[in-house]
Amino acid sequence: MDTSNLTSTSSMPLVKMENIAKNFGVVTVLTGVDFHVNPGEIVALLGDNGAGKSTLIKILTGVYTPTSGQIYFEGRPVQVNTPHDAHDLGIETVYQDLALVDLMSISRNFFLGREPMRRVGPINLLDRNKMDLQTRNSLHEIGIEIRSAREKVGKLSGGERQSIAIGRAVHFGAKLLILDEPTSALSVGETRKVLDYTRNAKARGLGVIFITHNVSHIFEVADRYVVIRHGKKAADYAQGQLTQNDIADLITGAREA
Amino acid sequence: MAVASIAKNSQKQEGVGQSLRRALSDEPAVGPLITLLVILGVSWLFIPNFASMRTVTGIINAATVTGVVTIGITMLMIAGEFDLSVGAMLAAGSYLFAFNTINGASPVFAVVLALVIPGLLGTINGLMRVWTGIPSFVVTLGTRYIFRAAVWILAGGALIQTQAELPIYSIFNGRLDILNNLFARANFRTSLLWLLALVVLFEIVLMETRFGNGVFATGGNAGAANAQGVNIKLIRVLAFTLVGVLAGFGGMLDFSLFNSVRVATGDGIELSAIAAAVIGGARLQGGSGSIWGALVGVLLVSTLRTGAVLLGLPADNFEAVVGVCIIGAVVLNKWLRQQR
Repeated sequence: MDTSNLTSTSSMPLVKMENIAKNFGVVTVLTGVDFHVNPGEIVALLGDNGAGKSTLIKILTGVYTPTSGQIYFEGRPVQVNTPHDAHDLGIETVYQDLALVDLMSISRNFFLGREPMRRVGPINLLDRNKMDLQTRNSLHEIGIEIRSAREKVGKLSGGERQSIAIGRAVHFGAKLLILDEPTSALSVGETRKVLDYTRNAKARGLGVIFITHNVSHIFEVADRYVVIRHGKKAADYAQGQLTQNDIADLITGAREA
Repeated sequence: MAVASIAKNSQKQEGVGQSLRRALSDEPAVGPLITLLVILGVSWLFIPNFASMRTVTGIINAATVTGVVTIGITMLMIAGEFDLSVGAMLAAGSYLFAFNTINGASPVFAVVLALVIPGLLGTINGLMRVWTGIPSFVVTLGTRYIFRAAVWILAGGALIQTQAELPIYSIFNGRLDILNNLFARANFRTSLLWLLALVVLFEIVLMETRFGNGVFATGGNAGAANAQGVNIKLIRVLAFTLVGVLAGFGGMLDFSLFNSVRVATGDGIELSAIAAAVIGGARLQGGSGSIWGALVGVLLVSTLRTGAVLLGLPADNFEAVVGVCIIGAVVLNKWLRQQR
């Protein structure tokens, strides 16, 4: 049964990956995978360790190039050869460990690599007041309150850090937000907060890919569940079609799609 | 959806005590500064002959060359790197400056060469670090010997000294009589002004520029910096280059003061600078530190050295004082960082 079109609206998908295959030498990691995300849609990308879900995402973010297959972004065929290409398209990835610099303040992290400058005589200096103010405001806009923009990120909890990384991606105009196991190290309460911000990003029209191997974290929030197993797409169901147990069985292979 | 809040009491203003404790943990120079003031105070009260401008200016003058080098080493340590070859780069700068000034070359040419050549040696360190991926501790352990050999060849193994009192020497390390006339027995020198100017300059570079932000990010979490589009290789190479330039500057100050340079000039300064940087709050693993801290660090070591001499401690025991100080500083800084 092809269910991939059930949640698609008439509008074109934000990103579409078609017939993706990836070999590392003689080892086949992915074969014939079709995958798409619509604007304003949260897609849970599920699979056991080694199933191929992270390879699929690394192809999308330009870390790997596919052996065969085509990627479309907003309807146009694109080549994503480097992470920089992905960045330019509006694909932002929030990695579990590579999101923020703990020893730096929230606002310095927020604007890292994209710092606003002010001119003082002949030289350009950081506009730190603007950095602090914009950080506070744009985090506030998506529902994140901070004590001080100059607080060190290392003093925040894991969930707060993930939230700030998500807020940053939203602020800088990401169209597709990829969250790589964002809740795997978080408490239940913190997980709930991160899911709230994820919903918030969706409400702003972003497409979201939420990578996890734990269905329970994402079950209520996702619009669609895509399961990768043994390098193939094992299932693609809209919310409401399956129970949590069904999905868990699909991940482990106890049940076929 | 309810507006989730990171801080339960986000509306509440910070109390004075709270913000003071945060300043302590956020500004790495604050802890060492308090330590320096305490040691200065105790020495002033209890060490015979310490309480004079002669002693105080002596402490400062003994710290300027190491201070300039420590500025660079601190910045490099914040970027997560080490440079053990600074002593040889300092000697290279000193020789180039000496040779050209004594032989009547234009002072501008002498200064530029004494900054550019050590800077290029620093660039070599940086490029080897980023191209090979070998830790900079190892790369610069190698270039420490290579550069020193190059200095030997450049100098033909010979000592250079001069009796000439050129204006350029007074500019870098002459008497600062405007200040000296204000205090009895004071011996302020222009090298102090250069040191302070470089401290301010590099503090601005680190805290107020995009490069500085990149330095902190590269040392704090290179992967995260890279993911945000920071060119971490460029940051590293530039940091090594600036260390070379500052070492060359230190070499010019050194020659201007002593009017002599030998092949072994600057030997051991790499460890003094790392010690001063650590005492001043620089984190060995990178990502944290301050240039003000570097200044405080060299002054602290210099104060202890002078105190030890005035107390009549044997010179051999002085090194132990520095050792205790390094470990004490790291323990103190670790504790301060955990405060919020």
